[in-house]
Order: sequence, then C-alpha cells, then structure tokens
Amino acid sequence: MADNPLVAIRDLSRRFASRPGLFARPRIQHAVADVTLDLARGEVVGVVGESGCGKSTLARLVLRLIEPTAGRVIFDGIDIGSLDAGGLRRLRRRMQMVFQDPYSAIDPRQTIGEAVSEPFRIQQIRRTRAEAEAEIERLLTLVGLPVGMARNHPHQLSGGQKQRAGIARALALNPDFLVLDEPTASLDMSIQAQIITVLEDLRRELGLTYLFISHDLGLVRYFCDRVVVMYLGRVVEILPTARAAPRHPYTRALLESTFEPNPARRRDVARLGGEIPSAFNLPPGCAFAARCTRASAECRTTRPELGPEAVACHHPL
Amino acid sequence: MPLLAVRDLSVTIGPVQPLDRLSFTIDRGEILAVVGESGSGKSLTAMAVMGLLPLIGGKASATELSFAGQDLRSLRDRDWRALRGRRMALITQNPMTSLDPIIPVGRQIDQVSILHLGFDAPRARARSIELMEQLRIPEASAVHGQYPHQLSGGMKQRIVIAMALAADPELIVADEPTTALDVTIQAQIIQIMVEAARARGLALMLITHDMGVVAQAADRVAVLYAGRLVEADRVGPIFGQPRHPYTRDLIACIPREGQAPGTLRGIPGSVPGVFNYPAGCRFHPRCREAQGLCAAEVPPLRQEGPRAVACHFPNGAAHG
Repeated sequence: MADNPLVAIRDLSRRFASRPGLFARPRIQHAVADVTLDLARGEVVGVVGESGCGKSTLARLVLRLIEPTAGRVIFDGIDIGSLDAGGLRRLRRRMQMVFQDPYSAIDPRQTIGEAVSEPFRIQQIRRTRAEAEAEIERLLTLVGLPVGMARNHPHQLSGGQKQRAGIARALALNPDFLVLDEPTASLDMSIQAQIITVLEDLRRELGLTYLFISHDLGLVRYFCDRVVVMYLGRVVEILPTARAAPRHPYTRALLESTFEPNPARRRDVARLGGEIPSAFNLPPGCAFAARCTRASAECRTTRPELGPEAVACHHPL
Repeated sequence: MPLLAVRDLSVTIGPVQPLDRLSFTIDRGEILAVVGESGSGKSLTAMAVMGLLPLIGGKASATELSFAGQDLRSLRDRDWRALRGRRMALITQNPMTSLDPIIPVGRQIDQVSILHLGFDAPRARARSIELMEQLRIPEASAVHGQYPHQLSGGMKQRIVIAMALAADPELIVADEPTTALDVTIQAQIIQIMVEAARARGLALMLITHDMGVVAQAADRVAVLYAGRLVEADRVGPIFGQPRHPYTRDLIACIPREGQAPGTLRGIPGSVPGVFNYPAGCRFHPRCREAQGLCAAEVPPLRQEGPRAVACHFPNGAAHG
C-alpha cells in the first residue's frame, strides 16, 4: 500500500438482488466483491475485464454514485461513506467522471458552453459573465476544441469532439481525480488515439490521478501505470507495472485477445473458450475455472485468494 | 476470374456523391478488409455490393459490377432477392437489427435454409444446429429454442453468422461485425469467421475501422478515405511498407505491445462530411506530409504491381 494514497479502496462490495418472478426468491448477484486498492497521487490505474465483471459498478462505487453493500472508499483521508449530501457534493469538485457514451452524456438542448459550465451551476459557484466566458475558453482550449464551439449544440459535434467536451466538463472544477469509464469504447480507433493523447497531456499538465476502466488490455497496458484485472466481481490479478508479464491465466487470455496491428503475429485465440458465467450462480471455487486450461480439482472447490503476490490463482503462470 | 469485381463504382444520394470511383476485386476463399474511419464510405460500399442502395435513395454507377460473372448493374429486384441471402449474405454491426425479438433464434436460422434451399422443417433444424455447433455455440439444441434477449451479444452475433452461412453463400459482407463486443468475444468471432471462410472457400468482405482486426484476419486490404480508395495491397506489405500517409496513421493509432508511453499518435481532426470535401487530395488537411500540390490536384490512383496508392508523395514528402 502506498503512503498517503489519494484514493484508498477497502474491502468494497456491492450486491444486487433481482427477483426472477413475483413469488420467486430473490437472487443475489455479487457485482463487486471485496475489492481493496490504493491509487497514489498522479497514478493511472487501469481496471480491465469483460462485460459483467463489475468494472463499471466499481467506478460508480468509488465516486459514491451508488452505495456500497460493504467496505469503504477513502478520498484524501476522508471516508466518503461518512459524508452527508452537502459534504459529498463539495468533495465531488475534486473527483469527477467521464462516461463511455459521449452521445448521451451531454443534454442535446444545451450548448457546449452551457454543458461545460454546468458543474459551476450545480456547485452554486457565482461568477461574473466575463469570468464564466474566460473559464469556458480555458476548458475548451485545454481539451483541444476551438473556442467558438461553445455556441454549438452536441449534434453539431463529432463523437470525438463530444468526448473532448465531456472531459472539459469533468475538468471544470479543477479535480484531482478522474474516473474514466471506457471513454473511447464507442469511438473509431483514430479518435480513440486522439482522446488517449489528450488524457496523457492533461495528466502531465495538471497532475491528475486516473482510474481508467476498459475491456481492452492492450490499450490499458499502453496507458496505465498499474493494471487491475477483474473477473466476475473480484480482482484476479494486479500487474505491478503495466507491462509486467501476466501470471493469471485469465490475464493472459485477455492479452491474447487483443488485436495487435501486426500481421506477422497472428494469434490463435481459441484457448479462451466459452463465455463469462452468470454472476447469479457463481461456482464455489475459482470463477474462471470452467474456462481455464490449467484448472484442477482444487480450482473447482476452493476459491484462490489474491495474496501478497497479487494473483488469485492456484496455478499461476 | 474474381468472384466479385468492382470497377469505378460511384454512389450518389440526391445531389451528393459520397463514393467516388472505387475499384476492387475479391476471389473465392479470400478475405478482403475494407478499412477507414466513420464517414469513409465503407458501409455504402457494402450496400452497393448487396444491391441495397435503393433503401436509402442511393444510386450506383460503375464500369463493372459483377458477381460470379453475372452483371449486377442490370439486375432486377426479383433477381436481387434470389441472390441476397442465398449466394451473398450481409452481417451487420448490431445483431439486434438482424434478429426478430419474438421468434426463437434457431427458427430464424431454419427459415434461411427453408426459404433458399427448399429444406423441410426437420432438415432445416438439423442443419441449423450443425452450423451452431461449428460456430462453437455451447448446448446448441437448447439455444435453438431461445429468444434473442436470452443470449449475450457475442452469442447473438454467432446466430447472425449462422443465418448468413445457412444458405451456403459464396460471399459474405460483414460490416463491423465485432465493434459492439468485448475484446475476448471480438477475437473469437473474428476467428470463427476466418475459419468459416477458409473451410468453405467463401469470399469475405470485412469492413472495419480497426487495423488490429485487419492485421489478424485479412488477406488483402483496401483503405478508404472520404469516399475514395487511397491504398490497396496484400496485408503483409500494407503493414510492412504502408505508402499512403493515411494508412500509416491508421496503423499508428493502435498501441503495440511494449509501446512507450506518450508515443501514441492519433489522426488530427476528423473525416470531412460529404458537403465539405476539400479540393485535391481529400486527406490533405489532416496529413502531416501535405504540400501545395496536395491541395490543388487530386492524386491519381497508381498501380505498381499489386500495390495501388493515391498519393502525390507516397514515399514521404522529404524524399518525394
């Protein structure tokens, strides 16, 4: 654990209950289970996994956009679970989120200038008109948008421009910490690279800390300092450096699924058979055992713990 | 003789011409990737090949547009219907647009072989289950009776692929078939499609914006930009020695294993809309190597052996 981390996540869990029928017994889904993680100041931590692994739920828990079932999130020494609505709102100036879908993240009736100014209104920060306009200009410039775009509506912007506007809005109140929930998943590769470059520049200029959620391990290994791999709500491995060799078979399978732009290195991806099982009926042992080529009898009965080596596997690579 | 031959294909929609004199061929058993950003004309190319332009009020013109020796330009609606779904099939990005939500997925596959191959229901069902097993759908006979909403995105896309394969087509046009899926599922689907193409000797036109997908799957590549072909060749030489700056930029957009932080390069700006096509080379406002000539004159598509490239300075401006 880092000394004095900006964000400390402790044993964080979230369960969802759903009732399959009117008189049926509710089923419990462990969306996020016992996640413990520190983010040092200025660090970029990637969280990677397939749909349904709990990475977006984790993102929302970290900002307390949803309430945890158990565990704590400590932001710069403050337990965010202990704050009342006003205290949480004030703290949110320092922690912001960038969403996956830039098409629905901005109100279509707002201009880009209004969208970027919205955080000031919500936080009831009073400014003169000149101050507000200077601020919009600063924010749009920061993300590489022309200043004149403040008067445009979202439908006049491309997907990449909308995502830049989403980032500008997240930066409006000078936060220390951004949660980036698949910010490039709905964009062309060329635009993804633009957005990643903008995020790299902002991190350097503003000293930001990022929690970066993605399903693309290749991208995460490029962009992040450390990588957290999730499978069915649990952390199965933490790569101490983004380029470290994977030790969990699932991490290796994720890596083999990335599409490298090199036809000389075509991969056989048949190894990761099957799909992620239902989170409602978790097997007793390792949740990945059914898809894993290294699984033994032990894997099907006893769940491996993450442990000091940060790999939850009975037979690591 | 190529299975599909397209020469000087242009598409007009009302007053605009979003596709400008595109030429390419696909042989039987070959995988051609058609690559470019959103707005480059990839999907329009697919619609033109499938005879679907009337749906959006578009018109195709070409000096050649032929499939297995048959001239598609003079085809009537009835002949198109005999061709589509039977000898050429389309796979779209979102499987939900191809699947009927209130019919079990297996029956939707059955319908293809009943309609196009004249199978009776039991034989169609047996064939559908066999196809589903080939596409590695677990418990295929159980899945056969399930509805689309009961299946994951990756499973639904496999059902759509099974529907495309059901009539044993010669050509499959796949328009961003994996864009909406997780990377692990993307990798499986691409592999399944490549295997199906190889095993059946069918031609696959794979439309994508992802040079990673191209590198992992294609035999040949056609790069489109703003409605024009800018470069084409076999996949190895395209990645080994890309000559058009746009091709180079598309490849550089994807981080390579071990790439140093801060070295990723996006392509500045975005593809111009059809009303704002610039004069000269349409890529020149975004091109790092553009010179005066690029804004003034359209670079002709030059064929040098198997490589086609439309650039005034294909070896870089410094050496040009």
